[in-house]
Amino acid sequence: MNEDYLWDKSGEPDPEIQRLEEILGPLRYQPKPFATPTNLATRRRRYFPLLAIAATVLLALLAAGIWFRVRVSHNSQPRQANVTPTPSPIQEKTPSREVIAEDSTPASPVIRNNKPRNRSTALKQRDREEALAAKEQLLFALRLASEKLNLAQRKTQGTPPANQIKNQHRVG
Amino acid sequence: MSQQETERAGAEPEASVEVALVRAVLEGDRDGFAQLYDLYAPLVHGIVLARVPRDEVDDLVQDIFLHAFKKLHTLRDGSSFGPWIAMIARNRAVDFHRRSKETVAINDELRGSDTQNSQAAEILELIRSLPDAYRETLVLRLVEGMTGPEIAARTGLTAASVRVNLHRGMKLLRERLGFMEGL
Repeated sequence: MNEDYLWDKSGEPDPEIQRLEEILGPLRYQPKPFATPTNLATRRRRYFPLLAIAATVLLALLAAGIWFRVRVSHNSQPRQANVTPTPSPIQEKTPSREVIAEDSTPASPVIRNNKPRNRSTALKQRDREEALAAKEQLLFALRLASEKLNLAQRKTQGTPPANQIKNQHRVG
Repeated sequence: MSQQETERAGAEPEASVEVALVRAVLEGDRDGFAQLYDLYAPLVHGIVLARVPRDEVDDLVQDIFLHAFKKLHTLRDGSSFGPWIAMIARNRAVDFHRRSKETVAINDELRGSDTQNSQAAEILELIRSLPDAYRETLVLRLVEGMTGPEIAARTGLTAASVRVNLHRGMKLLRERLGFMEGL
């Protein structure tokens, strides 16, 4: 047996191998064009879901940050407002003799106390409104994030359009 | 330079062609896949023919390339396209036998009555009765007409393994053929 001919068809042809090649030749692959289906597309490596998840997390963090900041700023504002106008309870309850002497009409604690109370209730109402607004913002951000997640999921898994997804009314 | 190094050097340009073609296909160039098909169809055909009845081979080759087209994005290294599609072809052949044992038996009987290629069919049956590594290499060499270095480059096997498989496979085939008696 000619080893070289068997290996790379070089050298003197081996008659036995040649005979086998002749007999088996008709079984050889007959070139045919490969019809790539038009409805198929190769998927590229999936970086999109990772990006979508990262964007969603970022968005959620941003929303939480905004909400936290708004909350902190509203918590600090009323304290400042309360500190300045409200006199110290010691001053109110035990006015010095000098003050009593100068002003015969005693300062009515009711009037003095009413003003800060009104202001504080007004502030509380404003706080509530702002908190509600912040809550709305947060809900909107979360809704946006969940919509983006749904979109990413639909794109990656090829699920039916959004209007066919069950329980969609629960989103937001 | 040793013989193996020369063979590897010869396989490198083809690998770079594969890398470029795989990249092009992933970027949406369908013609690139047609070129990959032209390059690798004989290899896939040979691998399948060594395991599956002839009547089923063409359909299976198309299926394998279709599967490869869909899953090409999972191939990380374009230069491994050959070994990758060869593995798909082997797995598909195994799946074929798992699914349709009865059909295969009927087809084989029917094919036995075809006298035109009966000699080729008989030799092919003998090759199929050899161990896996030998039959695949022998079919690629004797049926598909590929050389040893080409088989090595496309299947990802080392040149030394292919050489040994060819030599031992041929020896076994000769024994079973009775030293070519009646050919």
